[in-house]
Amino acid sequence: MDHTASVTSDSKPDAVSHKRRRCGQLTSAEIIQAIEKLQKRCIIKFTESHIHIICNHDASEGGVQVWSQVKVQSLFSDYRIQSNSNNEITILISPEALLLALRSAWNPASLDSTPETVMKLAKKNDQAVLSFDISGSMSSGRMVRVGHDVRIEVMKPSDVQKLTEPMCPEPDVHILLPPLQKLRTIVERLRPLSDIIAVRCNNNGKLQISVQTEGVSVDTQWSGCMNPKMAQEGASQNPDADGDVERPDPDHLFSVLISIKSFIKFLNSHVLSSTTIACICQGHCVILYVYIGDVADAGGVLTFYIPAHIDS
Amino acid sequence: MSQSQQPEQRRQVLSVSVSDVRYFAALLRGVGFVTRATVTITNDGFTVTVEEARTLLATAFVFKDMFEEYTYHPEPLQLQSQPAQGSQQTINSVAFEIPLNTLIECLNIFGTSSVSTASKTKKWKQNAEDGGMEYDNDRTGPLDRYFPSSGKGTAMRMSYDGTGHPLTLHIAEDAAGPTATCQITTYDPEPQLELPFDDKAINPPPRNRAPRAPSKPILRIHAAGPFGSCEMDYPNDREVLENFECEEPVTLSYKLSHISRAIRALQNSTKTSLRIDNEGFLCLQLLMPSPGPRGGNSEAFTEFRCLPLDEIHV
Repeated sequence: MDHTASVTSDSKPDAVSHKRRRCGQLTSAEIIQAIEKLQKRCIIKFTESHIHIICNHDASEGGVQVWSQVKVQSLFSDYRIQSNSNNEITILISPEALLLALRSAWNPASLDSTPETVMKLAKKNDQAVLSFDISGSMSSGRMVRVGHDVRIEVMKPSDVQKLTEPMCPEPDVHILLPPLQKLRTIVERLRPLSDIIAVRCNNNGKLQISVQTEGVSVDTQWSGCMNPKMAQEGASQNPDADGDVERPDPDHLFSVLISIKSFIKFLNSHVLSSTTIACICQGHCVILYVYIGDVADAGGVLTFYIPAHIDS
Repeated sequence: MSQSQQPEQRRQVLSVSVSDVRYFAALLRGVGFVTRATVTITNDGFTVTVEEARTLLATAFVFKDMFEEYTYHPEPLQLQSQPAQGSQQTINSVAFEIPLNTLIECLNIFGTSSVSTASKTKKWKQNAEDGGMEYDNDRTGPLDRYFPSSGKGTAMRMSYDGTGHPLTLHIAEDAAGPTATCQITTYDPEPQLELPFDDKAINPPPRNRAPRAPSKPILRIHAAGPFGSCEMDYPNDREVLENFECEEPVTLSYKLSHISRAIRALQNSTKTSLRIDNEGFLCLQLLMPSPGPRGGNSEAFTEFRCLPLDEIHV
């Protein structure tokens, strides 16, 4: 079956159509859920091999940015894309609205089998939309079709060129984080105490999360975390693989002060994470790689950039 | 911060440890409705007192047998500065003020310091070990229900080095897990509101009255507001009120917002005693569950004292 729709945007016709798989639906809804609370609008870039989800709206205010990429095969069983700009299409969309559509495709309680969802770029009433066509059968045997149209804006190629990941220096230390759910409990408790949180870790498996104010200082500490060698291609930024030159004292703690709100926004992605690696650039930023699914499969990764807090 | 490096002549004023912080945290929550609390430490335990509007005084009594370890060394007098006016430091006790809600948040850092007693339909006397897990302000989500805190509990060590030093807490969920170290700033204590409760003169002087019929309610709690009123009547029945003594019918009013401060503590308590003296002061004492560390029960209770709104009516 050929599902192609064409969208006439200002300049050129672009088209994309996808058919979703069951597990893909689960993941895509979770990805969007992880970033839903971050910003009102996010950018989704469809290429031939990957889907990139980018939230960089807060960049100007020194807030957290998310750059992620997921292999198309992890999400869709059938995927077609066609456009005049290198077969890439970049759109602006509200994650909240997208999540509503995905949830409907993901878990409709009254359907007895996995519904089939077709997602297309389309134009309805002069408005570009991402259209979802969900069909399944109810327990009574009847067919049901649900449609969602999520309003989008197609980005101009010139704007797409300007999208660049933040420049970061070589990280000083990498560490595998303990389960994010647990971290989130603790950081939620620290939130009423202070606006700033310190994240420190060393090459000896020690991780510290602390707040310090006039009234109270709290240090929570994990030991025995793994310090992985970074040489994967799943990350958006590739740190040097040969980082094992003469290392300084492995007990030396590298630290960065970040906004606690930004950290909690990152921790909202705990629904997704099987493995998360934190990289600290002392005093500059912390980069967090949240792997989707098994790291070895390299199905996808969400990269959070949280800049260091700068006293005004 | 590491007290072990301190020279011997400066011993810690207070050092306690407990293997399950839940009951201690519940006691503190019962009085945790005001920002600042005064903590007074003695050889037998310590009290945590809060005051509101110069009318309500709430005290949590934490006795030392609630802890596995309890060590108190009063500060030697010559090392203290001259006691300021209104200071409560004597050779037998030491006191400081502390932000109470910060302390409660720190105790709960791993999300495991809540305990609930049985629902109100159960009998009053109950085995404290029956207390199930309940999660206050469910900010952490349903998955936390399955997190390890069954049985073992979160361990805590608390210490205080004396005037001018912070209160230090070391909290650990288990040997392998994360640890937390909190240092909470302490302040000089303010003079406390004194609401002396006259234990001996509880009732107005007796007068000659005919004895009341047993079926009439002997205790009534009445609340009224602009939209309506509510009355709760308690019969003269041993099943309902274990003990009741009142020489004379008497009516007293208290501000509801003050009395309702006791709700948290009431929810966690196993027994309540209500007394009113002949000045109209109300004294509510709540017995709180606190299993001793070596099994058995230790006593811990919370007390609320409240001034009446008006003169005593008879």
